[in-house]
Amino acid sequence: MIRYLLSRVGQSLVLLFLVSLIGFMVLNLAPGGPLSQFALTPGMTKETLDRIAEQMGLNRPLPVQYADWLWHLVQGDWGKSFRDGRPVLTIINGHLFATLLLMGSSTLLSVVIGTWIGIRSAVRQGSAFDYIATVAAMIALSIPTFWFGLVSIFVFSLWLGWLPAGNMYTVGDGSLPDIAIHLIMPSFVLALVNVAVWSRYMRSATLDVISQDFVRTAQAKGLAPRRVLMKHIVGNAMVPMITLAGMQLPTLLGGALVTETVFTWPGMGRLFLDSLGYQDYPVVMGLLVFSAVLVLVGNLLADLLAAVVDPRIRLD
Amino acid sequence: MTHAATEALAPPARWWRTRTMRRFRRNRLAMLGVVLIVALTLACFSGPYFLPFDELYIDLRARFAPPMTGAHVFGTDPLGRDIAARLFQAGQISLLVGFSAMLMSTVLGTVIGVVAGYSGGRIGAALMRVVDAFLSFPSIFLLLALAAFVSPSPLMITVIIAVTSWMEVARIVEAEVRSLRDRDFVMAARMLGLSSVRIMFRELLPNVIGVIIVAATLTVARAILLEAYISFLGYGIQPPLPSWGNMLNGAQQYLDKAPWLAIVPGVAITLAVAGFNFIGDGLRDALDARSDLR
Amino acid sequence: MTQDKTRFSISRRQTLMMMGAAGVTAFGPGLAGLTGAARAQDAPKGQVVVGFSQEPTVFNPHLLHIEVDEGVHYAIFDPLFDVDTEGKFYPLLATEVPTVDNGGISADGLNWKITLRDDVKWHDGTPFTAEDVKFTLELLMNPDFRSWRRTGHEHVRDLTVVSPTELTWRMDKPFAPYAAILASTFIVPKHAFEGVDPNEAPFNNAPIGTGAFKWQERVAGDHIELVANPDYFGDGPYLERVVLKYIPDMTVLYTQFKTGDIDVAALQWITPDHYEEAKGLEGRAVEIVGNAFFESLTFNMSKPQFQDLAVRQALYHALDKQAIIDALYYGVPSVTETYMPRESFYYNPDLPQHEFNIEKANAILDEAGWVRGADGIREKGGVRLAFTNSTTAGNHLREQAQQFIQQTFREVGAEMTISNLPPAVMWGDYWMMSQFDTVIVGLNVLTGPDPESSDYFMSTSAGATGGAGQNTWVYNNPEVDELLKKGAELVNPDDRKAVYLKIQEILRSDLPFLPIFQYAVIPGYKTGLQGYASNINNRIDTWNIRSWRWV
Repeated sequence: MIRYLLSRVGQSLVLLFLVSLIGFMVLNLAPGGPLSQFALTPGMTKETLDRIAEQMGLNRPLPVQYADWLWHLVQGDWGKSFRDGRPVLTIINGHLFATLLLMGSSTLLSVVIGTWIGIRSAVRQGSAFDYIATVAAMIALSIPTFWFGLVSIFVFSLWLGWLPAGNMYTVGDGSLPDIAIHLIMPSFVLALVNVAVWSRYMRSATLDVISQDFVRTAQAKGLAPRRVLMKHIVGNAMVPMITLAGMQLPTLLGGALVTETVFTWPGMGRLFLDSLGYQDYPVVMGLLVFSAVLVLVGNLLADLLAAVVDPRIRLD
Repeated sequence: MTHAATEALAPPARWWRTRTMRRFRRNRLAMLGVVLIVALTLACFSGPYFLPFDELYIDLRARFAPPMTGAHVFGTDPLGRDIAARLFQAGQISLLVGFSAMLMSTVLGTVIGVVAGYSGGRIGAALMRVVDAFLSFPSIFLLLALAAFVSPSPLMITVIIAVTSWMEVARIVEAEVRSLRDRDFVMAARMLGLSSVRIMFRELLPNVIGVIIVAATLTVARAILLEAYISFLGYGIQPPLPSWGNMLNGAQQYLDKAPWLAIVPGVAITLAVAGFNFIGDGLRDALDARSDLR
Repeated sequence: MTQDKTRFSISRRQTLMMMGAAGVTAFGPGLAGLTGAARAQDAPKGQVVVGFSQEPTVFNPHLLHIEVDEGVHYAIFDPLFDVDTEGKFYPLLATEVPTVDNGGISADGLNWKITLRDDVKWHDGTPFTAEDVKFTLELLMNPDFRSWRRTGHEHVRDLTVVSPTELTWRMDKPFAPYAAILASTFIVPKHAFEGVDPNEAPFNNAPIGTGAFKWQERVAGDHIELVANPDYFGDGPYLERVVLKYIPDMTVLYTQFKTGDIDVAALQWITPDHYEEAKGLEGRAVEIVGNAFFESLTFNMSKPQFQDLAVRQALYHALDKQAIIDALYYGVPSVTETYMPRESFYYNPDLPQHEFNIEKANAILDEAGWVRGADGIREKGGVRLAFTNSTTAGNHLREQAQQFIQQTFREVGAEMTISNLPPAVMWGDYWMMSQFDTVIVGLNVLTGPDPESSDYFMSTSAGATGGAGQNTWVYNNPEVDELLKKGAELVNPDDRKAVYLKIQEILRSDLPFLPIFQYAVIPGYKTGLQGYASNINNRIDTWNIRSWRWV
């Protein structure tokens, strides 16, 4: 167990290093720079920009800059934004809640709906419901999330006028019901793909369990089909689901980024795009590393949880 | 050729008669996918010859014409260009980018997968760690970071998509090759003194072609989606060259006034992606011998 | 369609921006020129929500920042004196605007004397003194400080605090635009920087000013909240609270203005396509206001294609400016022939009128010996009339204009290829070192309300040839160089006017850039809000937020 944890953490560190290195190279080998955004400010001169680049150490060789950044990171200093000079972690922290809220509510939706569809499809394998669910899932996986967001805005905001077209809350409001109503559309849009994924996995997991002997035994013992279903099938099929939840994290996070851009949701995805536009390296790098950490921790937790739920799983 | 693990590899002649293909043809959804893709491809590559409009011709007097205005079947865009003409032209670009990105990432993923699977041991493990690393990271972040800073030509966009999409193929191929590594025919090849490279790519590769095709089909779908997203954000294919994604760029701004700007290209993307997904799924089922039993 | 429709139209007589350093005779329009006697004012009440489509993030006004950040600066800080809507200076922290007449500036423009108010306190209660002014001017030149602007300040010598309310300095040469620069130089408190790295001072994220509003809090990515400063020395504030709301999408900005969620649709304003609808909104005032930025198709004059004046003239004739303005920009900006905003005292109204005429363009090129090749593209002496055009990827309207221009250029046998770049790449060396062929760009080359523009048009300012400015055209005309030098040193506004009219005339005939239009923006506010006034001389809507009030 300890060994497993250690090797996973070690692996994660290598990944973090790789991600940060690639990110840094990509960001810095591109022409231009973080100060370019100020070039069109009236009265700006090349001299001023050159001087400030010098003062900020942007003229140093790239390996030196990278080593410097990494050294500070190791010490827990994530650097400061070029835009507003605030510490990167503070900035990320300010956007974290919005993203987690969106991811959480959307996961809740997709787990509930996906599980229901998945089990129902498996139990009624070959039925019209099963077939329609299969086709619907494939189509859902084919719709571009951002476009689905656009169409939803058109239908529910512009046409029907039921839901707000974007943002997390109304200016000056921000009460719970207000946030909830803003949350509906983005979380459904983000859930679309995940419902499809969950229902597919749930279906096959349930099918696997159904075909196992103990279920047949239980049925033979005369247990009511519904109880068999609830007790055995769901219980057993849930284990791989937990692992799946871990595996789905990168997709979910990526999806959240896409959704945030369409709904101007003030989360990490929005921050990422803004920072890219300004070539705000420290923030972009921070977000790359932070999301990698988030995913790794999520994966690890999922693995551990699965091991706790099902003692048959040995981590090694 | 040796005992093929999959039937996809039966002699080249009459491949369509194999049981795999029979299973595939029986899959209605998969056939629908084939029809969709063939129809879309035909439309995109021949459509421009039948339309009375040039996809680049700007007519400011005809901006924002709704669908079915005169000969503008799908309406016009903010510069008065015919959307149908642009849609077909854009389809060529989007399908080409999707297809080329698939080719690149499949080749890359296959080479890495075969090498990792065949070598096993430390090299294999190390390679797979890298693959896992990439897989466990939200690649859209990396994709955007790359796209934001390279000069956006169709070729660069293709390359960027490819380098963030090869991991799935690599993992599948590695698993498949690892399971074949100790089979008799590989042993025999080794005893005959064939070089590793030859064993990997002449003996093993043909046996995993089935799974590669499945993965490749699904990768095309993914690549089309990715191109659409980065072009939608303005980092992808640049105007005036149309792509399905950049036709959607700016559509949000006109959503209340000209919703067809958003709807038309989105439907095209969904159809194309669904088509490839249907085919991929159908192929996977068809290659799975167990599916006959179900 | 033009400025004439708007409330903010300024008659030419009013000599907007007229004040050179020594030319000031009139003082403030009263709003802030009041002394303690004016204290018997209404208590601040209510709040205003101002919507910006960019997020203010830099609160130290002397660090590198963008336009929107000044929205916060104007509310929290004060300069010594400021510029009103008519281009007149009015005193704020200074008791009066220094002029030659009142002895604030010596006749040769070299010696300056500033008298300060004695009743001003910083938000933290510390009294404001001449030391703070001295500190601010020195901070801008501090080699360790990432100062965003040194222009003008670099000429200041012998900065001396005579008394807590008086300081003097000497300029090492006459520099007419310095008054305009001081008008946008916010004074910051010396005590907030004691013993800390000025680049990292806590002040930078929790600013302390003398202004009408105090810093309350910032919710990053969302809004900034300011509250009334009850001890403000001048007239105002009349609002209890100001919320500067960041709305990262201009369509949403407009929607929120329509629904009333925001009271003012400020920076980046209402998009032109919504203007017609916005005008009809109940309880909202919407106006088109001239802006000091001008849009142009800019040539890189060091490229062989553009060295022939005939090419630049022909391309100008092939540019359908009116169609771009009317169709793509809904007629909101106004057509122009120069870089100078028409509201300016220095604007030259007598420049030749542009004519969109494809035949004429073709005739000019034919005559100049540019011959069409087999592919329809002209060529002369081995140089093809083919070039790239770049702008920021993602600027939809400009990308549309670009594609339209591409089509008309093609008709005269010029091949323009579009090659747009992400902003951070576009405005880096690609722009600064003139690595482009042509660019479509919106620029403001003035120094605040002052016409000084040497950093842009002086031949020695081109980065590509080792200069330190932003002459990205690599424009080189000795006559213009001479005029620019003269303009910066002359003291009398009327003398200066002649110089700048001539510069505009030369640029119009040399055509280093093809002027397309002068920007106009569409701010909107609730009619119950009194005091909102667009000011072309100050870049941001909140320049006079101290006098906004609900009625």
